Amino acid sequence: MAYTVPRRDARTQSGGVVEGYAQTALRWPAQPLARRAHGLSELSGPEPSRRLKATAADLAGQGARRALGQLIDVRARIVDEDGAPVSGAMVEIWHCNAAGKYIHPNDSNDAPEDPNFYGAARLLADAAGRVELRTIKPGAYPVPDTDGWWRPPHIHFSVWGRVWLSRLVTQMFFPGEPLNERDPILNAVRDPQARARCIARFVPQAGNALVYEYNLVVRGRNAAAELP
Amino acid sequence: MTRHVPTAEMTLGPFFPREFAAGANDLAAGAQGEPIEITGRVVQADGRALDNVVLEIWQADAEGRFDNPTFCGWGRAATDSTGTYVFRTIRPGASQGRAPHINFLILYSGLMRQLQTAMYFDHSPDPVLENLKERSDRLVAKKEGVNRYRFDIRLRGEGETPFFDD
Repeated sequence: MAYTVPRRDARTQSGGVVEGYAQTALRWPAQPLARRAHGLSELSGPEPSRRLKATAADLAGQGARRALGQLIDVRARIVDEDGAPVSGAMVEIWHCNAAGKYIHPNDSNDAPEDPNFYGAARLLADAAGRVELRTIKPGAYPVPDTDGWWRPPHIHFSVWGRVWLSRLVTQMFFPGEPLNERDPILNAVRDPQARARCIARFVPQAGNALVYEYNLVVRGRNAAAELP
Repeated sequence: MTRHVPTAEMTLGPFFPREFAAGANDLAAGAQGEPIEITGRVVQADGRALDNVVLEIWQADAEGRFDNPTFCGWGRAATDSTGTYVFRTIRPGASQGRAPHINFLILYSGLMRQLQTAMYFDHSPDPVLENLKERSDRLVAKKEGVNRYRFDIRLRGEGETPFFDD
């Protein structure tokens, strides 16, 4: 049973050049992208966990060294186009602190750092394709040199699926945020349903953290699934 | 079976943790084969070199195998402030009717989706390379020394690197 990566419906993906996001017009290729047949080179699977180390699944901290902000649990699940869980998938997650500041030399936003918050984790999915991260809810922040563009609270995900072409880098958004409606990055996804799937689901639950569930679908499926 | 629609890709953004991009660009250590170094600059439409671009590669081992338990054909590098990246690896073998090549994936702020391309060592017959016709030259690396290759990437503009729509 061969694993394949079918073409995607363009409407479920972002356009390359996005209005309101100036850098896209300097960086997205002007020439049409070339089609190619997929062989073993594209449909075999890298194992990044042989080079990259996993970290703890807690960015919120413990005791006196707790990060400031609303405590949240992000429960993400990685599946492929058949809905099959990608067990052992490596998942990188990063986000800014509750004030909207990243620990990064390129972040010029005049917001305070939080000495107890380090905003990056690298996790391995369990047998059901799940990762769970305890962290704090990221803040919104203004994008420099724009006319009032604020990024809504969001969490970055970088995920490996089963094969080279399954690689997925995306962002998770929070439900009910007014800035979601105005964000050029989220709204670059043309299909409203595909856009809605980029927003996490709030799950009411007892405990000291708000719980959000998020599904990530990486590219690829078993060819036999095409058969009636 | 219900078809699940792949999640929309979004930009890596400008704040990918620098330490995540570090320490994974040497595939040659302990590997069997001819060690090589690949370096290049990544520039945008106006020619400006780009800092902190994340590049990932995937390649066969020296025998053209993708499932070698003693060789991890995946690596990651990031550009410095001059737009330059470096990989140390081994020269891949030919596989399944394909000329030796290294798959490249580019992630960056302002790129709404990953860009896929491939680096070749020469114009040996290869269906993917030949399909690009006159643009195929841009995917053949320049030999700069005994084991050193240059593979520059221009995201957009004159001499733009060919990228694939998968």
